[in-house]
Amino acid sequence: MANLKDIQRQIKSVSNTQKTTRAMKLVSTAKLRRAEELAKRSRLYSDKLNQVIAEIAGRLKCHKVGGIDNRCFSEIKNPKIVDIIFVTADKGLCGGFNIQTIKAVKKLLAEYKDKNVKVRLSGIGKKGVEFFKYNETELFDSVIGLSSKPDKKRSDEFIKTSIEDFKNSKIDAVHIIYNGFKNMMTQELHINKILPVDTDSVNCEIIETKSMLEIEAEDDEKMLDSLVSRYVEYNMYYALIDSVAAEHSARMQAMDTATNNAKDMVKSLNIQFNKARQAAITTELIEIISGVESMK
Amino acid sequence: METFKLEIITPNGDIFNDDVISVTLPGEEGEFGVLAHHSSVSTLLEAGVVDIEKTDKTIESVLINWGVVHVDEEKAVLLVEGAVAIRGESESDIANALQEAKELIKSIEDSGNAIAAVSAKLDSAAQKLI
Repeated sequence: MANLKDIQRQIKSVSNTQKTTRAMKLVSTAKLRRAEELAKRSRLYSDKLNQVIAEIAGRLKCHKVGGIDNRCFSEIKNPKIVDIIFVTADKGLCGGFNIQTIKAVKKLLAEYKDKNVKVRLSGIGKKGVEFFKYNETELFDSVIGLSSKPDKKRSDEFIKTSIEDFKNSKIDAVHIIYNGFKNMMTQELHINKILPVDTDSVNCEIIETKSMLEIEAEDDEKMLDSLVSRYVEYNMYYALIDSVAAEHSARMQAMDTATNNAKDMVKSLNIQFNKARQAAITTELIEIISGVESMK
Repeated sequence: METFKLEIITPNGDIFNDDVISVTLPGEEGEFGVLAHHSSVSTLLEAGVVDIEKTDKTIESVLINWGVVHVDEEKAVLLVEGAVAIRGESESDIANALQEAKELIKSIEDSGNAIAAVSAKLDSAAQKLI
């Protein structure tokens, strides 16, 4: 049986860890509330923007409005180079949050490799970037410090090259992979094909029944270009906001579990300690009694 | 008077969501008005003032820096990046909103005649309220 002092030391260490994990949980809860509020407010805008884009994409697909043939809306067969952008957290201790995203990225990378498509991988967030660096996967672009503090300007700058390259036919698709916030308990992995705008789900029949859309004829290309840029930029920014909310909820959960585990451990260590104490007392008593007996 | 639904949505949530009689928007090719049953149109908006005629016939002005509008028969959805509504209960509230609006104008990159016009329009809208 372990030494009494050893057990005592262990109990102290575990309860100190418990204090830390509990504090981290509280911090995450507070941060989550703020991040969630921000994500909630932005969701409306993001949803509407996506709706407008989807409608335009649908109409372009079904009607070929005014012969517009914008690259962002047309399906690209046999892509040669694609961009994959992933968002992970800058910090760990949040359960499977980062590894889920990394796994999804690896899966997509493998899929493209099978099809002989070249992939340009860009990453936001220290954890993901470090992972791919360690595995010697080449990163086209990476930024650290943005995923914990989402900033519209920096995110716009980050995604700018991808938008430009797509418009100039240097790349054929842009994917954004991130772990988003679903509710306090669950995170949802998003693998969004952001460019070209996904028109697979468009049902022409539904669109036919609705009224005809009119895009101002003369500068339709300009409008679509500008709209698509904003759409991609905003989706990138939204991915960051959503990811930060999810990160805090994941960390909150992980820390809650850790606190509970520490509690259980302290409990079992306490039992062990009491048993050892009892044993020590019993041994001492036996020693005294046998001593007295021998004196008789 | 027939009305239609107008939604103004910014990245920070919606700032207007109500039935209105008409709305005047700063389109890229000039101002245009939208009434109920307007035909479907999607177009870009530039920095300017959106005038909303509400059901009680009062006019509310909202300054925007960039936007896209999507109009169909039933409703108009305005997606804007930055917007400040010129409204308030008291004079000081309106003055604050005006200050905020002017800061938004400053942040718009391309300066020039258009900005001056927007600024003037903003002042007159605020004057009407006070």
